[in-house]
Amino acid sequence: MEATNNDSMNRSNAGTTDYDVLVIGAGIAGEESALKLADMGFKVLLIEKEPSIGGKMILLSKVFPTLDCAACITTPKVSETARHPNITILTLAEAESIVKEENNLFSVTFKKHPRYVVENDCTGCQECETVCPMVVKDQFQFNLVARKAIYIPFNIANPRVALIDIENCTLCGACEQKCPSNCIDFTQKEELVNIKVKSVIVATGFKLFDPISIERYGYGRYKNVITSMQMERELAPTRPFNSVLRPSDGKVPDKIAYIFCTGSRDHTVGNPICSQVCCMYSTKQAQLLMGALPMADISLYYINIRAFGKGFNEFYMQAKDMGANYVKGKIGSISEKENGNLILRYEDIVTGKVTEKEHDLVVLSVGLLANHEITKVFKNEKLELDALKYIKQPDLLQSPATTSIKGVFVAGTATSPMDIPDTIMSAGAAASETSGYLNQWS
Amino acid sequence: MEKKIRTVNILKETRKVSEHVNEERKKYIQIRKTLREALKEESKSIPQLAVDTNLPLPDVTYYLMTLLKFGEVAVDGIDDMDEYYFYKLIK
Ligand SMILES: Cc1cc2nc3c(=O)[nH]c(=O)nc-3n(C[C@H](O)[C@H](O)[C@H](O)COP(=O)(O)OP(=O)(O)OC[C@H]3O[C@@H](n4cnc5c(N)ncnc54)[C@H](O)[C@@H]3O)c2cc1C
Ligand code: SF4
Ligand code: SF4
Repeated sequence: MEATNNDSMNRSNAGTTDYDVLVIGAGIAGEESALKLADMGFKVLLIEKEPSIGGKMILLSKVFPTLDCAACITTPKVSETARHPNITILTLAEAESIVKEENNLFSVTFKKHPRYVVENDCTGCQECETVCPMVVKDQFQFNLVARKAIYIPFNIANPRVALIDIENCTLCGACEQKCPSNCIDFTQKEELVNIKVKSVIVATGFKLFDPISIERYGYGRYKNVITSMQMERELAPTRPFNSVLRPSDGKVPDKIAYIFCTGSRDHTVGNPICSQVCCMYSTKQAQLLMGALPMADISLYYINIRAFGKGFNEFYMQAKDMGANYVKGKIGSISEKENGNLILRYEDIVTGKVTEKEHDLVVLSVGLLANHEITKVFKNEKLELDALKYIKQPDLLQSPATTSIKGVFVAGTATSPMDIPDTIMSAGAAASETSGYLNQWS
Repeated sequence: MEKKIRTVNILKETRKVSEHVNEERKKYIQIRKTLREALKEESKSIPQLAVDTNLPLPDVTYYLMTLLKFGEVAVDGIDDMDEYYFYKLIK
């Protein structure tokens, strides 16, 4: 079994436990909860369905409101999590079933997908990538460029180890011939692993709103309409292009528009709530763009600005002072010109007038949605959801990490949209409530 | 040199490669060759490459940026309007 901290996994004897806590999801919430509990001496198993830990945060450029480099903050935390003697990490692992037994232990079965590369032997040299003849859209660059069928997810991935996308592999064997460490192994198979744990933390995060469903914005049809996550990548040090460029023709954009609340506060797409972070991350991106492209005009079309957190209003005012043009306007539709420029038709909320404006790149400030699939995994007790399909917090005021199942806790954006500081606080609360529960147990 | 065991042959016995994957592989090999050929003599911008190769502009952007990521091409300046970068082949 591949694990960052090698531990034998196939040893679930009834009555004993393999780990004190199972943390599901290794974004910033899962990592923080795992670290806090591991520091207290509890044995933690952290499982992540992706090939790297780090969640969405590891893919961000900089973070509001401090403009710290996201990679600089997250990489040390990721390494600390990976190196902690009390934490075992399994990537490409997904919980299949969780059953609460009469003795209050949780019997967990999870699926470990094959990497087709022996994790402990891969040095991350990327020699295999150079000979692989097959490319596919790079999901970690949000499809702006391609990657090989054998690939290291991204430069700061942890573990920084290759994997094979078997669905897109031509089975040519070139990587196996080239690998200097002999670590490619096409005989690896999916494994089902059973363990017992005393408690569970659900830190499965959020889903990004897919703007393809708002047809009038043209996402998916117009190449120069991109999402804010794609812009995060364009602004990150490990960006897909050599600079901020339009995907249609590689032009350096100079009239960029943001459309706030794409897929948030919108009953028509089934998400009536505010996503909490879009106003501020768009403001952050506007500041970064004004630094990267000093001649560019940045217009931000908004309904209301929600700058409610510590330092947020100052951050917003700073963007305005730098020259960002905030327009209180509701976008009706976007149309595309032959040169790839985009005409935004909008209602100016202040004057009531319908106006048109041309931009050469449009960024959709996409919202956060609940990721509730994990509830299906709980077989004999129900992990309840709230009205918006986030994990229900039955005692929100006094015990925010408690869920409908005793011994199962929740952390981060699995509970509701929130920014990184709030995610860290939520993860701290989950760790402390879990430790209280475990101490009662012993 | 010691001959490596080819575990890929074991998987080949039970797994077929789809038509789509083979088509995509051929497409990439062709586009890569075309772009490299077009950059052999001098560095070019993405619109220039699209004209020279008859490939759609978004495809040139996508594949050229992929070759940039793989270290096969590099930036070689920007035009007078600061609009389009030039890219050169790394030999
Ligand atoms: C474009 C954009 C920009 C942002 N910029 C900022 C910013 O500048 N500052 C800021 O404070 N916040 C920002 N945020 C918000 C920030 O991304 C979130 O607050 C943070 O990522 C939440 O972390 P999380 O761990 O709760 O969730 P996630 O990052 O979603 O992590 C959840 C993890 O769980 C894994 N997972 C899910 N289901 C399973 C399963 N069944 N089994 C195993 N693993 C599973 C996922 O793969 C993922 O790794 C931004 C958000 C967006 C969309
Ligand atoms: S066997 Fe698959 S992953 Fe390896 S080089 Fe060939 S196509 Fe790429
Ligand atoms: S699989 Fe082999 S060639 Fe590829 S990165 Fe790992 S050690 Fe290098």
